Amino acid sequence: MNEINCENVLMAKMAEIDGEEAGFSSEQVTLHIAACENCRREIEQMRLSDNLFKNQTRRGQPADLWSAIENQIGNKTVYQISWKPFVLLVVILVAYKLLEMLPERDFGLAFKLVPLVFIVALFVFLKENPFKINAELTQGEI
Amino acid sequence: MDDKEAIEICLKGEKDAFRFLVENYQKQAVAHAVAILGNAEDALDAVQEAFIDAFKSLKQFDRTRRFYPWFYVLLRNRCYKMSARKRETVSIEETEILAPRAGLPSEERFALERALVELSKEDREIITLKYLDGLSYDELAEHLQIPRGTVMSRLFYARKQLQAKLTGKFH
Repeated sequence: MNEINCENVLMAKMAEIDGEEAGFSSEQVTLHIAACENCRREIEQMRLSDNLFKNQTRRGQPADLWSAIENQIGNKTVYQISWKPFVLLVVILVAYKLLEMLPERDFGLAFKLVPLVFIVALFVFLKENPFKINAELTQGEI
Repeated sequence: MDDKEAIEICLKGEKDAFRFLVENYQKQAVAHAVAILGNAEDALDAVQEAFIDAFKSLKQFDRTRRFYPWFYVLLRNRCYKMSARKRETVSIEETEILAPRAGLPSEERFALERALVELSKEDREIITLKYLDGLSYDELAEHLQIPRGTVMSRLFYARKQLQAKLTGKFH
């Protein structure tokens, strides 16, 4: 807030009333307000609105959500991803690739499916469904 | 037990410690959600979802911070997502944001509540956090995840909107 105009002065004055740092010196604000009838009127109106809240409090809301939350979180523990399964997967895939590169060896179709099996196993281990993640994102966007 | 201990225990896999956090903050959270969403029924759903989000992402919680401001960010995300899916209705028969208090005229409370409900949810949120919870500008910045300067301007424009809604009701 560098420029002294009505908007900035009003913001600064309200901050001052709220007991906050205003961004302008008190003198600058006072000088502007003394010369500006519009600002004086605005400040008076805002003070009136402020006063309406003086004796108001939030309505307490009855809530007992634990049983519903407990049902939802079930037996899950706080979600912690360990780096170990990822390292293991990388080691296995590298070993697989080296085996595959051996000349004149054909391990058959089952061998070709090995990477797929490991990736599926990783998702099972993480208890995640990649298709479900996509579905949730799509719903969120709608 | 305090929040930090509850979080530590929860991170060790003891989910019952999370109950402490839920029971400690659920009422405050529902009151905050009502102020954004405008009704208690949706607020309860949003708070429940936000607590589940918090449980799932507790590992990412910076334990040098206080729990509730962090949780509030999750809660308001839930509230804004929920309100984006639903049409806002401005019809109130009973006040849900402001508490009835002996000695204060109910007409005044009702008119103020109506003015609040007529505000946008963003304006209603910052106004209620400021006036009803008495948050400082720094606390508002933490809760709303915006810079302090933006707090000043958003609060100023929200006040102007409130003033406009109140014109004719009080002034």
